[in-house]
Amino acid sequence: MKTDVILDDGAVEPTSRRSVGRPRTLDAAPASLAQVLALIRDDTANTRPDLEAASGLSRAVVVDRLAALTTLGLIEEAGTGRSTGGRAPKRLSFRADAGALLVATIDRSSIAVGVADLRGQVLAEHHEAADFSAGPLAILDRLTTLFLWLMEEQGGKERIWGVGLALPGPVEPGAATASADLGDEWTSLDLASELAYRTGALAFIRSGTEMMTVGELKAGDGASDMLYVKLGRSIGAGIVIGGHLHRGVQGAAGLIGHVQTSETSAAICRCGKRGCLESIVGSDAVARDGRAGAERGESRYLAEALARSGDVTAADVANGAHLGDAFCADLAARCGRLVGESLAPFANLLNPSLIVIGGGMVQAGDILLAAVREAVYRDAHPMVTRDLRIMRSRIGGSAGLLGAAQVAADELFRPETLQRWIPYGSPRRLPEITERAAAARARHRLKIAERLTAPPPAPPAGM
Amino acid sequence: MSFAGLGPHGERATPADRIALTEEDAAAARAGRFNLAVVLHTTTSDWSRQELAGIVTALGSHGAAVVEVADCGFDSDQQNRELRRLAATNVDAVISIPIGNAVVAQAHRAVAHAGKKLILLDNAPTGLIPGADYAGVVSCDNFGLGAIAAELLSPYLPEEGVAGILTYGVDFFATKEREIAFRKWIDQNRPDVTLVRAKFQTIEETGPAFDRLLAENDDLDGIFVAWDVPAVKTVGAIRGRRRSLPITTVDLGQEVAQHLAAGGPVKGVAAQRPYEQGMAAGNAALLALIGRQLPSWIVLPGFPVTKANVVEAYQVVWHAPAPAGLLRARRDP
Repeated sequence: MKTDVILDDGAVEPTSRRSVGRPRTLDAAPASLAQVLALIRDDTANTRPDLEAASGLSRAVVVDRLAALTTLGLIEEAGTGRSTGGRAPKRLSFRADAGALLVATIDRSSIAVGVADLRGQVLAEHHEAADFSAGPLAILDRLTTLFLWLMEEQGGKERIWGVGLALPGPVEPGAATASADLGDEWTSLDLASELAYRTGALAFIRSGTEMMTVGELKAGDGASDMLYVKLGRSIGAGIVIGGHLHRGVQGAAGLIGHVQTSETSAAICRCGKRGCLESIVGSDAVARDGRAGAERGESRYLAEALARSGDVTAADVANGAHLGDAFCADLAARCGRLVGESLAPFANLLNPSLIVIGGGMVQAGDILLAAVREAVYRDAHPMVTRDLRIMRSRIGGSAGLLGAAQVAADELFRPETLQRWIPYGSPRRLPEITERAAAARARHRLKIAERLTAPPPAPPAGM
Repeated sequence: MSFAGLGPHGERATPADRIALTEEDAAAARAGRFNLAVVLHTTTSDWSRQELAGIVTALGSHGAAVVEVADCGFDSDQQNRELRRLAATNVDAVISIPIGNAVVAQAHRAVAHAGKKLILLDNAPTGLIPGADYAGVVSCDNFGLGAIAAELLSPYLPEEGVAGILTYGVDFFATKEREIAFRKWIDQNRPDVTLVRAKFQTIEETGPAFDRLLAENDDLDGIFVAWDVPAVKTVGAIRGRRRSLPITTVDLGQEVAQHLAAGGPVKGVAAQRPYEQGMAAGNAALLALIGRQLPSWIVLPGFPVTKANVVEAYQVVWHAPAPAGLLRARRDP
């Protein structure tokens, strides 16, 4: 069987699979190849002796895997390591710039895009307001425009090895589409195929909350048991247990926005129930309460915001609280209290060492955070709260992009994924990408054909 | 006035006019007798002079002194040296405009980690965390400026026309935001228009970059230039050619205002208010120094300027009566 391999200089050399980095062993032992690569990628071991010690693999196997990884352009020599008596060993480093990752987050009021290296380090990012109600194709078209621009900035499409995408709702493990939470238009769209068609790369899709949680975990201080709480239009939690994200069977773990609160509300939640946390302290509810306060003359800050832009947003309330407006501060404190009361049972259940509060409402600053802390420390078991830290997100709105980059990088280099793409030299050359892209292209052509053959609209009455 | 752009981490904007000191804050600031340094990409541009004037006015009003102004000459290595040096001095705070992105991130982080308050102008290098690595960013709404520049150029672009973008080759958040917004406005409002682009790495390269763009696209109908100084260079490059080209840009500098008033190639400018931005940056620094937590994305709106309103706009931006050349344009619209 013949396949092509992309060499370091970009040339394509036809070879047999059996001559690329000892493919006989690649086929047989992707796990050890991934293991060696992972040790170098995360700087656990950088020399052959250290790799042998850290992996438990024999010298011959390590030498073989290093040869394969060098041929693939994934590692390079970077000086010499520490000598233990003989000649100093060569140091090896992961080539994070061998390819690039595109990352994006879609929220209910904004989108963000970025580009990252193969370690998951975000190199550039851009955020802009977006109208989620415009539907998935309009949002994807805008993302594609921004992706193309980023790819041009990064030296071309061929450098893009993977895409990490965060959605504003749960995504089932292994699924290529959004869950029912986002509505029919989204759930009927094969997002992985759309992204393969638009970028030529593998896509890894998760909920925004999951991506933010992974981002916080990466940027954090090593807490292995953590809750990340996103306070936005939707409210959700990411759960990290023993350093691993707990996703749940449907990828819907942590839907704390739909727990009942101590306050009654006439508002009906998106899920159809009354009294959900999200329907009282989600950003839509906060904006609604803020606008009412502005119209009643209870907040000068919000009255000015209303006069300036014709509306009041949750960000206005958060900023007002931050800048000392009493009405906004009270509203932020109430949000914090209700969130804290809802979190206390989860703290009892999971016993985390850290709770991180993120999302737009954290712009309210210390007032909201203090109220969350007060409620959790009051309502949760003393043993659970003894060493529990509750902090504001360190990376704010970048958490989702950072997490998407980390997820895409980790998924690309998982043994199972590596095994699939290494014979082709690059994940871009996987046949499944071509197949997915073709399927999406066919769907687009079908839609265009349907539009062209549709009967003309009926003339207005009276014509 | 609402803002078109989000912050470097997706933050919603806090209007700069909300960043003011209460009487209690002012007393605390005065008691602190703070010393600050300002680190700029250049001190020679009109924008920089106005920005600096705003900063020193705000600080001087509250008993604080600017003890040093570093001109980095658009050189990120020079900026890194200046920041690392300032981190080891006894200044209380630094106000800096990062020249580039990742290349200046560590040096900016070093300032905050040396215990000094850091206020950034226009952008935050990727990876810096608000609150931990810097107190806040004070910026004009660069996304809005890009959209204004597109809207001002649109009437000069024929159906199915070609618009050029002449932008900065350095990884710089503010100019990238302008370009993205310019493209977005054209995509949404003039999908018939084709966009082409060239980059310049230094101001001196503007002319050659324009020549390249024109050589590759002889059907060019108009051009957007990232800010006023290279726009003026572009006017020079257009001179002597067979046909003129309409230009729009950002920043109402002295020279570009004259070009706008004279009715030459420059047809519109998306103006910033650097003096007010400097005032906001000065106030933000003082608030950070007295222990107040700042919103991380503090923004001023831009506004459109054409020949028709160049005199009033000049007065707003420059806080001075317009020079004679501009007044002639008002008499002879």
